[in-house]
Amino acid sequence: MQVEVSLTVNGAAVTATVEPRTLLVQLLREHLALTGTHVGCDTSQCGACVVHVNGASVKSCTMLAVQADGASVTTIEGLATDGTLHPVQEAFREHHGLQCGFCTPGMVMSAVDLLQNNTSPSEAEIREWLEGNICRCTGYHNIVKAVQHAAAAMRG
Amino acid sequence: MSHPNQLETVGVPVAQVGAMARVLGEQPYPCDLAAAGLLHAAVLRSPHAHARIRSISTELAAQQPGVAVVATAADLDGPHTRFGVRVRDQPVLASGVVRHVGEPVAAIAAATPQQALAALAFIQVEYEVLAPVPTIAAALAADAPALFPEASATSLPVYGPGAAACAEPSPNILWEFTLRDPTFDAVWAGAAQVFEDRYSFARASHYHLEPFACLARWSGEGLSIDTCNQDPFLLRQDLARIFALPEHRVRVAAHATGAGFGAKSYCKLEPLAALLARLARRPVRLVSSFDEEMLSVTQHGAEIVVRTALSRDGAPLAREMLIDLDGGAYADASALVADKAGYRGFGPYRWQAVACRVRVVRTTTAPAGSYRGFGGTQTSWAGERQIDSLCRRLALDPIAWRRAHLLRVGEAWWPGEAGMDSDLSGGLAAVVAALDPPAAPHAARPRGVGVAIGLKDGGGEARPANAAVRLTADGTAIVQAGVVEIGQGATTALAQVAAERLGLPLDRVTVAAVDTDLSPHDLGTHASSGMAVTAAAVAAAADDVVAQLRALAGRAEAVVHAGTVEGEPVASLLKRRFGPYGADVIGRATVQAPRSEGLPLRSQRLYWMPSWAAAEVEVDPLTGQVRVLQLVVAGDPGTAVNVLGCIGQVEGAAVQGLGQALFEHLRVDSAGQPLNATPWSYRAPRATDLPPVFRTLILESGLGPGPFGAKGIGESGNLAIPAAIANAIEAATGAALTSLPLTPEAVFRALHVDS
Repeated sequence: MQVEVSLTVNGAAVTATVEPRTLLVQLLREHLALTGTHVGCDTSQCGACVVHVNGASVKSCTMLAVQADGASVTTIEGLATDGTLHPVQEAFREHHGLQCGFCTPGMVMSAVDLLQNNTSPSEAEIREWLEGNICRCTGYHNIVKAVQHAAAAMRG
Repeated sequence: MSHPNQLETVGVPVAQVGAMARVLGEQPYPCDLAAAGLLHAAVLRSPHAHARIRSISTELAAQQPGVAVVATAADLDGPHTRFGVRVRDQPVLASGVVRHVGEPVAAIAAATPQQALAALAFIQVEYEVLAPVPTIAAALAADAPALFPEASATSLPVYGPGAAACAEPSPNILWEFTLRDPTFDAVWAGAAQVFEDRYSFARASHYHLEPFACLARWSGEGLSIDTCNQDPFLLRQDLARIFALPEHRVRVAAHATGAGFGAKSYCKLEPLAALLARLARRPVRLVSSFDEEMLSVTQHGAEIVVRTALSRDGAPLAREMLIDLDGGAYADASALVADKAGYRGFGPYRWQAVACRVRVVRTTTAPAGSYRGFGGTQTSWAGERQIDSLCRRLALDPIAWRRAHLLRVGEAWWPGEAGMDSDLSGGLAAVVAALDPPAAPHAARPRGVGVAIGLKDGGGEARPANAAVRLTADGTAIVQAGVVEIGQGATTALAQVAAERLGLPLDRVTVAAVDTDLSPHDLGTHASSGMAVTAAAVAAAADDVVAQLRALAGRAEAVVHAGTVEGEPVASLLKRRFGPYGADVIGRATVQAPRSEGLPLRSQRLYWMPSWAAAEVEVDPLTGQVRVLQLVVAGDPGTAVNVLGCIGQVEGAAVQGLGQALFEHLRVDSAGQPLNATPWSYRAPRATDLPPVFRTLILESGLGPGPFGAKGIGESGNLAIPAAIANAIEAATGAALTSLPLTPEAVFRALHVDS
């Protein structure tokens, strides 16, 4: 059986025909070729697949594509605007908030959601928020610092 | 160390080259690659730790929707198809016997990943279950089943005086390495006091986020594989042997890798993808799941007996390490790990004589292989735990004892071996000084501070490396070298080294992707040798470009800087000499450290890679819960080419060490069944695990063998952490823990049961 889903991805209207069991991350990666969203653990542990659904961060390996029908989805590819990095992307780049980069898209999308809700999070609050995103490379410290720098930049 | 003023790029903190693509989600990894006509692979894996395969039936599976081909050992068997470093014992697909849960038994290529997975259920395998051998003790028992009744193909290195090794001395021992100073017995006999302690080291999972992934395709010309592998040239050799091809008919493209920590070294799933692609005559992509990844290769668990002899006044005399490594079912890199664990495992003290015996024991568990620290992690745990315990028994201060007896710069524990090239005592003082003053003692929860020094060497044995630097007609440069970017920042550092030597700004230098058809040969991304060895080749290749430019300009002393030669833009010079389109100027270099035949491993350590850690912990005696209140870790990059990268390497490794200390442990039950080999049941460090105070120090000795005095630093940061935390627990409570991880249960037991 195939079903049709219609949604907005990174600002563009998208319609796709998928099996009902298709995960949102599969829709993004396999049907729309948006491979910036990564599959690490495939079981909602690592957060490499975090995207925004209607503005809130979601682990896209744990959501069916049909559940996103009618929603607005933003992936890492949709974060920069007109060639300008989002302040969180810029802070991760500048402050060494990444090494291999595999967790980075999910980390960045998670951090953006945090800063939408808390414009000046403490170190402890950032660590707590990012508990659902695993990074084996950095030891998190530079990621937390990058989020603090981004928060400061966004406060202006 | 302050840098000479003339350095413009090396030593300047810079954002990672390649970070832009990664924050934009535009960095491709092998799991993202596509090809026309691509098939997707799925692997049927053994549910048993040890079993004989009576029969495999693939007919039903082959008829499932979308299935192109089903492969079993019958499609590729024979001694030349086995792989493993020094001992070739691992089949591409299980042949007759399975020896660990998760061993590949059959594989399918189908039109979609879902079809491939679904069809696995239709492969029928009849097993005769055999007795499991889940532990080192079980493997060494007198009545243990022999896991490999027949000898494997082996290749032994040549050792120098004092060292020896033997492959498969008995069926359940893969490898035995021994080292003995000829004076050992005499020194030991003169000891005033001797200590013997046993330590256990729990095996961890690499837990790299990007799974194993590769894409194989065949053409009339041969085999081409895109993969995430640290050893493209060694992999090329394995693939050539397995498929009976000359090496120039095998191309390995090693892509930027979503981390590995050692897991992505040597031959992994690539031959299986190649087999499926050959049978199907279509490109095949094989992407493992995280569960499969955790059953493919692990760190070595270990049982270590440390025997230490001291003089009457407590000075170090001799140390002997008896190390049993749990090698799992197949060789992988175990033989190499054994040699290195034994050779450098004694700790950085002024021993008069050392000896060791290291055995790699085969068990019916996932194969163990390269893991950040390469044996140094296990020995640093045992050796540094014992220093604190013996100091406590002698009522000595463990920090003062260390500072009195650490190797000084230039000193070695083996005659003729490379001397220490870091300020060990200064580093120890630095991490202790960087701790905040301890908080007031807590009445109910004792607190304590512990330190440890981790040690391994880097750079390999007489390791060769090649590099090329191409200056293009517009005066920008491309570096070609065989170091794979696995997140360690090699791309950035190699670009900085080339930019510095060429006198170019960093944004005018790129580093080419690694491809065995195009890249200069390199032994692989191993032994923290990128900065110490390959970077030296890059620097020399850049110097070769400069020399060629001077020759073109006709002036041996011409100033080459900022894209000009003696003031003339490079582009202008190249057009003047080669015509209106100019030409590339290609510089080349090969480097190799010399052999030292009189030493046990026939070469000096290229450099030492110590790390220092200081930890303050708080222990709740009611629960055994340990809180790390402060953690300070330090590493020595020789010269920090990019200090941001150095901090990242040390910090990331330190958190890996924190997990190793407190909770990481891949466990199996008595039947050899994994108990937590899944990403949801295996505990890896999260952001909330960071200590409230967490500091990283970069201590530049300037004494590295690489360009500008650089060393490697990537494998150091984890080495000292488990011992430092356990030493802090002992300082706080007196509980002398000897096993990892330091779980609440283990601490409670040490406090209330064992005492």
